[in-house]
Amino acid sequence: MTRIDDTFPDVGFIPTVIIVTIVGIALQLSGAWITMLLAGMFGALFTRSYLKSFLAGFFGAAAAWGLLYLYLSLTAQASAIAEFFIGLLGLTGMGWLVFVIAMLFGGLLGGFGGGLGRSLYELVDQFAGTSTPTEMPEPTDE
Amino acid sequence: MNVKKQITKLGLSLIGPIAIIVILTMPIGPLAGGLGILQPIGGIFDVGLDVNERTEQTVILPGLDADVEVIVDQWGIPHIYGETKEDVFKAFGYMQAKDRLFQMVMQNYLAAGRISEVVGAYAASSDKFQRAIGLVKSAEESYQWCLDNADTNEDVAYTLDVLDAHVEGINAFIDSMTSATTPIEFKILAFTPEHWKPVDAFIWAKMMTWGLSGSYIDLYRQFIRTSLNNDTMFDELIPDTMPYTVPIVPEQYDLDINLYPNAPGGLPASATPPSALAEVISPDDLISGEKLESLINAMSDSIKYFGEMEFIGSNSWAVNGSRTSTGRAMLANDPHLGLQAPSLWYEVHLIIPGELNIQGGSLPGTPGILIGHTEQMAWGMTNVGLDVMDFFVERVNPANSSEYWYNNEWRAFEIRDEPILTKEGQIIEFNVTWSVHGPCIDSVLNVYGIDSESAPNIAMNWTGNGVTHELIALSMLNRAENMQDYFDALYMWDGPPHNFIYADDAGNIAITVAGRFPIRAGYTGEFPIEALNDSVGMVSNVPYAYNPRSVNPSQGFLQSANQLSIDPASYDYDLLGPQAPGYRGRRIHQLLNVNDDVTVQDMKQYQADVFDIAADRIIPFVLDAWEAIDEDNSSVQEIVTILEEWNNEMETDLIAPTIWTYLLDTIKYETFDELWSAGISLRYAFTPLLEEWLRNENTYYFDNHETDGVVEEMDEILVLALHRALDEMTSDLGTNMSTWEYGNHHIVYIDHLASLTFIGGEGHRGGSHTLNVGPGWTVSHGPSRRMIANFDDTTTFFATYPGGQSQNMFSPHWDDLFNLWYTYDEVQETYGYYQEYTYTTAAAFVAADEADAEIQMIECIITFIP
Repeated sequence: MTRIDDTFPDVGFIPTVIIVTIVGIALQLSGAWITMLLAGMFGALFTRSYLKSFLAGFFGAAAAWGLLYLYLSLTAQASAIAEFFIGLLGLTGMGWLVFVIAMLFGGLLGGFGGGLGRSLYELVDQFAGTSTPTEMPEPTDE
Repeated sequence: MNVKKQITKLGLSLIGPIAIIVILTMPIGPLAGGLGILQPIGGIFDVGLDVNERTEQTVILPGLDADVEVIVDQWGIPHIYGETKEDVFKAFGYMQAKDRLFQMVMQNYLAAGRISEVVGAYAASSDKFQRAIGLVKSAEESYQWCLDNADTNEDVAYTLDVLDAHVEGINAFIDSMTSATTPIEFKILAFTPEHWKPVDAFIWAKMMTWGLSGSYIDLYRQFIRTSLNNDTMFDELIPDTMPYTVPIVPEQYDLDINLYPNAPGGLPASATPPSALAEVISPDDLISGEKLESLINAMSDSIKYFGEMEFIGSNSWAVNGSRTSTGRAMLANDPHLGLQAPSLWYEVHLIIPGELNIQGGSLPGTPGILIGHTEQMAWGMTNVGLDVMDFFVERVNPANSSEYWYNNEWRAFEIRDEPILTKEGQIIEFNVTWSVHGPCIDSVLNVYGIDSESAPNIAMNWTGNGVTHELIALSMLNRAENMQDYFDALYMWDGPPHNFIYADDAGNIAITVAGRFPIRAGYTGEFPIEALNDSVGMVSNVPYAYNPRSVNPSQGFLQSANQLSIDPASYDYDLLGPQAPGYRGRRIHQLLNVNDDVTVQDMKQYQADVFDIAADRIIPFVLDAWEAIDEDNSSVQEIVTILEEWNNEMETDLIAPTIWTYLLDTIKYETFDELWSAGISLRYAFTPLLEEWLRNENTYYFDNHETDGVVEEMDEILVLALHRALDEMTSDLGTNMSTWEYGNHHIVYIDHLASLTFIGGEGHRGGSHTLNVGPGWTVSHGPSRRMIANFDDTTTFFATYPGGQSQNMFSPHWDDLFNLWYTYDEVQETYGYYQEYTYTTAAAFVAADEADAEIQMIECIITFIP
């Protein structure tokens, strides 16, 4: 059985954040916030430590939501809605705080998803055995 | 790393996701949906997407016979063009739900006593009250009556056809809801609406009936009578008719009793008026003082969806061609109801070429137009305010509290099981006791912790109980073309008594005090009483043919503002009041009586009129008293001077209206000591009585009987009132008089149904007695819709209401009509209106829009296809 970490390369932190962001936007279009866990888990395929997985998931999901908020602010009154929501708590002029809090939630979903994913992949890889070097084709004479 | 450690790590990694899931789904106060709704897509932010309507849309609406074209105009008002009534009403239901589903659900759950299912157990007391008054039972009976009679009555069949289509349209929208079209309130409350049912329209019609005629004045009368302990004083302080009132009906017009032999709704009638009742003494100890007070409190605490009964009013008038600039009839109407966001009203235009062309204000959730016009006629409504609800105290069997005495036998109360389901999943058991007279409303008293030991026995005998036919009447009125149709339609109106004013393109004007008016036997209807057999009660009704009515009166105009329906001296039947104080009616009469060249502009100015006729009549006595007493007090002199210079206009930039509002209260305080000293609210200190006492220099009531051995005179009392008003204003508003401007304190505030936001918040012109009414300091009641119909050669209709078509608070149609309603043009002396688009075909509408490049009349076109 091929180990997961042998299947997906470690692409580095920033590329993983970008991957999570793109996947996060795509999954969020389903309208289910819980999919940010999946986005984070997906990003964890491309890192090799729990901390990096968490952070990549966190920043990636937060960026995904941030970009969607930006889009909705430009096209669909998201700023006014945020202002309305914070107004329910008796605060005015602090709609930005709603976005910050929401992005924090999105980030935590992505981050915990990343952490969970990394732990899961490492456990699965334990059962898959030690890493085997990729077999190189024998050189052939022309 | 070994497997065990990996498993442990995985387990620990689950803590974070579980914690965040809990946080995002956990209800927080009213945020039952949890913080997960903050996600960018699928949460509250989607509602902004729905604001941007595409200019052309195609929507599949299953069951249509043909395409239906809906042109949504610049105000968000749908003009629905279809080929059959079923198609048109299906699209109508869809559009109503699209724009107002949250409101429809809230109002019906409230009416049905199910609001706890939406907002939680804290609303259970409201639900118990609603269950106790039995609206659902009556609605189900009314619906069943329609089902039973549809085969033999084509009007009933028509009503059911459009009702069913309307319900299908609503459900089509519910089934098609996306995150973007789901009302934000449902997301916050984590509520999923059920399918709409035909009986829901009847429930809301019953709620309207309750809201406009469910008066518990009998209980107040009993309380006041007991507290005063002086029947002569009671009769003087709580009169059945108010002095100086100009009655609604100037010349009675009877219909042919042979054509209309019954009371409205087909109920039995007595063509011969009953002989005058012998003096009936109602015992005043049938209900204990404690129980009476707790009942009054329970009823006062109940949610008044249509507004507080004392503030429910309206203005309407119609002028025939002899007194208009065009030589054709005109009509104006502005119903005064509770102001709410979204509004009670939803504007719509329904067109089936050659068959139906109706436009006006509908009530969301009901399949028709309540106030509006067809091509040929227009009608408006004002509340009548007569007492059509009595309370019968059942004699409970001392040996068995589940029985009561009626017609010489002990009868078992009917106990209806009314379990209340809450949002939290609880079931609160609740029973409502019914007697032959109706539901025993003291079933709710244990909610308030009083008298829980005794059996409920105070039955509410109300003309709205059981089968009524409001929806049939409205459906007929919506198809009316002439006065005969109008008469026929109102023959079915046995709901809350309403003055239906009428004008048509043939120049006729009319008003009918419509509704069922009971003929009582064995009691007066003023107080709770025992009715131990069927000889006591509402034994018959006034025949519809003889309902108060006027048609083309010689004065050339008609008006109503909830005042006295008809002069009792000229009418053979007893109608039990009291009705409105009559100042608005007097003002309308005053304006129309001197204008024989009425224009549309005049009609608009009258609707904006803030001349306080009560101030005009009362303040001169105060000024005279100040001069007569000749007191040296510069502070009082200052406010007297302001009043002297005032023109009695309740304008927001003046101080005088503030002074007058305080002063009227303090005059009442100083004068009606008989009320407050007996623990009775000064809301029962009627201004017309004060005016009468001032005019007649009534020595008895101007004497303060709380001051032993001293006899105060009228002037002394009025000056005392001036001092008290000044003291109260200084205490409440401060000593800087520049902050006393009326508009700083008299604020229009239109609360959202779930109090999530509001519309308004700025100064409001007018007061309690002005045509542009605005009772109280925070104005939450008032002109809920303004309409003017002008039947000249190019028939024009104008309307507006304080709100907007959309329930989406981020839509421009959330409050665009409010802005028209609120913005006062100082030069024209009118508020804003939109002129209705009356195109009879969609193609004509589109062509007109394309021809006029300056105004974009059409916002979007929705084509519904099968």
